[in-house]
Amino acid sequence: MRIIIIGNSAAGLGGLEAFRETDRDSSVTVITRESKQPYSRVLLPYYLRKKVPYENLFIRDKTYYSRLNAKCVTGEVLQLQPEQQTILLEDGSKLSYDRLLIATGSSPVTPPIPGLSGNDIFHLWSLQDAADLMVHFQKGKDVVILGSGFVSLQGAWAALSRGLNVSIIELMDRIMPSALDESTAGILTDQIRKSGINLRLGTVTEQVEQTDNGKLLLHFRDGNSLITDFIIVGTGVQPNISFIRGCGINIDAGIVVDRQMRSNLPGIYAAGDVAQVPSALGGDPVIHALWPTAVETGRIAGSCMAGEKVSYQGSLNMNVTRMFNTTVASMGKFIAAENRECWTDKSLPEDQSLKIMLEEDVPVGAVCIGSSDLVSTLGMLRPLIRGKVSLRGKPEMLKAILAKNIAQYHRAFGKEY
Amino acid sequence: MAKKEIIEHYTSLCRMCDNRCGINVYVENGRIIDITGLREHKWNHGRICVKGRLGVDQVNAPDRILKPLKRVGSRWEEIDLEQAYDEIAVKIKKLQATWGKRAMSIWKGEALGFLTQEELARRFTHAIGSPNYFSNDSQCYVGRWIGYALVTGNWATQDFINTRCAVIWGSNPPYSQPNLTQAILGAKEKGAKIIVIDIRLSAIARQADEFVQILPGTDGALALGIARQLIEDDNISHKFISGYTHGFEEYAEYVAAFTPDRVEKETGIPADTVVHIAREIGNRRPKISIYAGNGLEHHENGINNIRAIACLDGLLGNLDELGGNFIAEKPDLRSLTLYREKPLRHLQPIGADRFPVLYDFRKECHTMTGMDTILTGKPYPLKGMILSGGNPALTNPNSRKVVKALKALELFVVRELFMTETAKLADYVLPAASYLEHSELHFHPIHQIIGISRQIVTFENCDYDYIFYKKLAARMGVEKYFPWKDSEELTRWMLQDTGITIDDLLAHPEGLEYKPRRYQKYKDNDLLSTPSGKFEFVSDYLKNYGYSYLPEYIPPTYITRPNPEYPYVLSTGARKVFYTHGRNRNFKCCKTAIPNPDIEIHPIDAKNLGVSTGDIVTVTSTVGSVDIPVKVVHSSHILPGVTQITHGWKESNVNLVTHDDRNDPIDGFPLLKSVEIKIKPKVDTSDI
Amino acid sequence: MRFITMDVTKCVVCRNCEYACSFRQAGDFDRDHSNIRVEYYDDVKICLPQTCMHCDNAWCLEICPAAAIIRNETTGAIEIISERCVGCEMCILACPFGNIHFDKINLVSRKCNLCEGEPNCVSFCISGALQYIEAENSYKNNRIIFQRFIDKLSQNNNK
Repeated sequence: MRIIIIGNSAAGLGGLEAFRETDRDSSVTVITRESKQPYSRVLLPYYLRKKVPYENLFIRDKTYYSRLNAKCVTGEVLQLQPEQQTILLEDGSKLSYDRLLIATGSSPVTPPIPGLSGNDIFHLWSLQDAADLMVHFQKGKDVVILGSGFVSLQGAWAALSRGLNVSIIELMDRIMPSALDESTAGILTDQIRKSGINLRLGTVTEQVEQTDNGKLLLHFRDGNSLITDFIIVGTGVQPNISFIRGCGINIDAGIVVDRQMRSNLPGIYAAGDVAQVPSALGGDPVIHALWPTAVETGRIAGSCMAGEKVSYQGSLNMNVTRMFNTTVASMGKFIAAENRECWTDKSLPEDQSLKIMLEEDVPVGAVCIGSSDLVSTLGMLRPLIRGKVSLRGKPEMLKAILAKNIAQYHRAFGKEY
Repeated sequence: MAKKEIIEHYTSLCRMCDNRCGINVYVENGRIIDITGLREHKWNHGRICVKGRLGVDQVNAPDRILKPLKRVGSRWEEIDLEQAYDEIAVKIKKLQATWGKRAMSIWKGEALGFLTQEELARRFTHAIGSPNYFSNDSQCYVGRWIGYALVTGNWATQDFINTRCAVIWGSNPPYSQPNLTQAILGAKEKGAKIIVIDIRLSAIARQADEFVQILPGTDGALALGIARQLIEDDNISHKFISGYTHGFEEYAEYVAAFTPDRVEKETGIPADTVVHIAREIGNRRPKISIYAGNGLEHHENGINNIRAIACLDGLLGNLDELGGNFIAEKPDLRSLTLYREKPLRHLQPIGADRFPVLYDFRKECHTMTGMDTILTGKPYPLKGMILSGGNPALTNPNSRKVVKALKALELFVVRELFMTETAKLADYVLPAASYLEHSELHFHPIHQIIGISRQIVTFENCDYDYIFYKKLAARMGVEKYFPWKDSEELTRWMLQDTGITIDDLLAHPEGLEYKPRRYQKYKDNDLLSTPSGKFEFVSDYLKNYGYSYLPEYIPPTYITRPNPEYPYVLSTGARKVFYTHGRNRNFKCCKTAIPNPDIEIHPIDAKNLGVSTGDIVTVTSTVGSVDIPVKVVHSSHILPGVTQITHGWKESNVNLVTHDDRNDPIDGFPLLKSVEIKIKPKVDTSDI
Repeated sequence: MRFITMDVTKCVVCRNCEYACSFRQAGDFDRDHSNIRVEYYDDVKICLPQTCMHCDNAWCLEICPAAAIIRNETTGAIEIISERCVGCEMCILACPFGNIHFDKINLVSRKCNLCEGEPNCVSFCISGALQYIEAENSYKNNRIIFQRFIDKLSQNNNK
């Protein structure tokens, strides 16, 4: 069998490794348009912060592909030809497959703001971006970060840690709408401002201008402006699917796949940021452009391509990060809504928060800020969310319920069960 | 520890508490660097507690006393060790010449050694012509020993490993006897019932099948109630009762009044619980191990309460049974005491008149009476004391009096590892040797094994007990009582009648069985060691002294005569995991985990007092006051109205409020576990 | 492979294991440094010691975006290489048992590494609740077994 995997980040690697757990022999070719040695995007802000050295960005060693009996080639895929079971590369070469995994990930978007291109304007997404930014991460420099999602805030924290003067410009009147509820975001906002960052909410950037002395001048709708040395644009990502449009593959927001990560076309699988997958909480299929979902879906795809009978439970969105001397995390449905009860842990101090969302007593999501122990609680809650376990109207008993459950598990451990 | 092979390895026994677990000791460049559990040892099977590991911290502690110190005015001056011995000997001789031989006393604490240490202290006391041997034992351990000995002639050892029902009464083994926990829970794993009777939800109570929460000091009523129920259910060993007991009829008549309803009224335990646990226990005859803990002996009716519990063995027939309360045989060690050669009872050992039972059974002087004697000179002057490894300034009741008394001594010598609150009062402080610096014999009665602890390191100036007494005896002209060169010779002499050699012991770090276990020994020629040779439900011996003939239940004073001014009941002395009495408080890591003392109170009481965890309150009894932070515990941990403070903290010394003059009339033990107190939130004047 | 098993019917929450582990990690009796955590849950009367189960297909290992979590081939332990850990806490969120914690001083995740095959917590467990034993089958299936308990809990609670 000939296997092709496009992409060598979380989903691609997960796919390859899971595939090889079952199938040692089939030929596997991995195609990447970036570094052959796999690296982790998640680490780029930590690299900029100098928490990790450059070499630790690489998450598989140099012998990785040979150990896994796989070939890795660099190139951009131009076209997918499902009828011939081939893909066409930029250099004109054609590769045939029996099974194909599309794990091409996503790319950052640039909002249509006049002047938002050219020198000193960056994303924080690729290894090259990080290398470029490293040059500018110098103490005393000014940086403006557009957007306040995970990557933006991580970048801001890195810049702050390195002694830069940091401004964050957010279009909306709050930060991190896709990962935090409003009040949790509020606590984080306080932390960010306390740390010395100039955070402007509800600020629309109308234009960016290059000044004579080599700086950038941002004009805002409210009439204010801001001068800076460079800009990091962090306003979201979109799946990399342009090369497959029109080939007959079913695309909604991303490639629509089933619980085996199969697209509508035979032999073609998708995983990671490009795949629109079943949600753990039911409802419409979702794109969770998140590392854990990419690993999970990649591994499911790999196993299925090798002939294993596994089925994806569905993606449960989960986010966590430590920054500005606190930790924020969320998963599932973490925003209060109608028919959703919000339980708040009242024992926590003001700068910490833990909320659990319940629908008919069943936890469906949670969000926290503060100590890492809260993240741990979310971790333990996750199986209950996935398993749709009722808390029987006693969310304050959560810890006891978890304890009881794990205790039962321990009782069985070491015995046949 | 990958480098162990280049490190010296010794096997020994731990003395950070009384458990004496087998240990490996690792030494690098003459310094002890690690202590681990000895896998082969029959007691602890390779496991030790963190307290055991603290032996490393203790032996190497930067604040250890390594130079002899002499008080000069208000300061300490270093003094040559031999010079110190010379001076002390001269002072003792002078003191004894002036005030009489019995004006000098010896006090043995728990921090340095074990059996040999105790016997050497007794030996030296009599050698210099004084009957006044004091120790911590007049307020710890001995109360239970006497309570049981009055009934069975012995205090049996619990064969938890083989039991079907473990009753842990007023004790928290995970903290006080850590590796006993393994045996108890091992039995649980094999199906034994675990019944814990305590005023607090202790660590062991968390794994009890039945946790029975009792009002402080009412244990006798429960024991008598259980007895009544066993008799009513005819769940008793007729064979044992008819063949080997004394006074059953009178006893049965007495217990008949302790109906479940009466017991509920006395103890706070629901009547049906009393019936239930009596049946849980009775139905597992005879494999029942009942352990009476320290919680029972610090009451005004302590001995009788303990007798009442001991009497259950007579009904259950579990005495000297496999899985029951086993009467261990001792190794035939030669005794070091001089009670045969030099009996000195006619010299009125302190407290022997007041508490003759204590002296009859244990040859213990009564420390609390001792403090009064020092201060009043009555019945005769007590002017000198050598105290080794004890800290009565913190651990004896009524600390203010203790401090006053010890200060009033003409000569007070303290042998210590650290500058304790007691050492601070001394005229001479001599560096002592820890258990890792001398060799001693130990035995574990339950396995009938004997072992030897080793001298692994030595420090200059730190003489171990035998050498200390020998050197001082030489200067006192009584060297004939200390003829052995060192502890090795001494040990060899002690072992002479056993057929066991030191080499045998060294070859058996796991413990050498000195006698195989035998059961029901009372059936053969060796009767029980009571006056009647039988199991004594009633005691003619006590009756002759005018004490209770029956294991009489007298309710605690806080119940019979409640004092509205002191509405709360204070129990003291619950153990913490790595503190042994007043010890280990100076180790940094312990401070990290448990930095301060506290008073445990029920949430309802906290609400009534308007206090929460961390608030400082003033605790006052008729004796004195102490300021202490509050710890509001879960409502299941302690009963409303009941409080607990652990002893041994100089920061908030609970013995400032305990009574030295309210004693059990039989053994003289002080009231430490049902003290009437009031609690007042401390007003923070800085805010006003 | 050998495992630390935790017997909830024996643990008395004396915390000797916590102190022993913390002492080994940081030379102090500081629970925050311990890789085993023990808790008594009053409301349900459960004594629960918890340390890493060293799962087969460990989720923390799979999703660590820094590839800082590996399996030690000798002991079988799932270990965190602290030099590689960036402190993103993803593993803490991933662990369904709550067995990974955060080192607030060095800003990295910490967990049990089986002390190179001689776990200190077990040596200091005076109740016998912790055992270090061969338990091959459990190890192979522990994620599946845990899922079964979740399913059972779901059935029971959702009745």
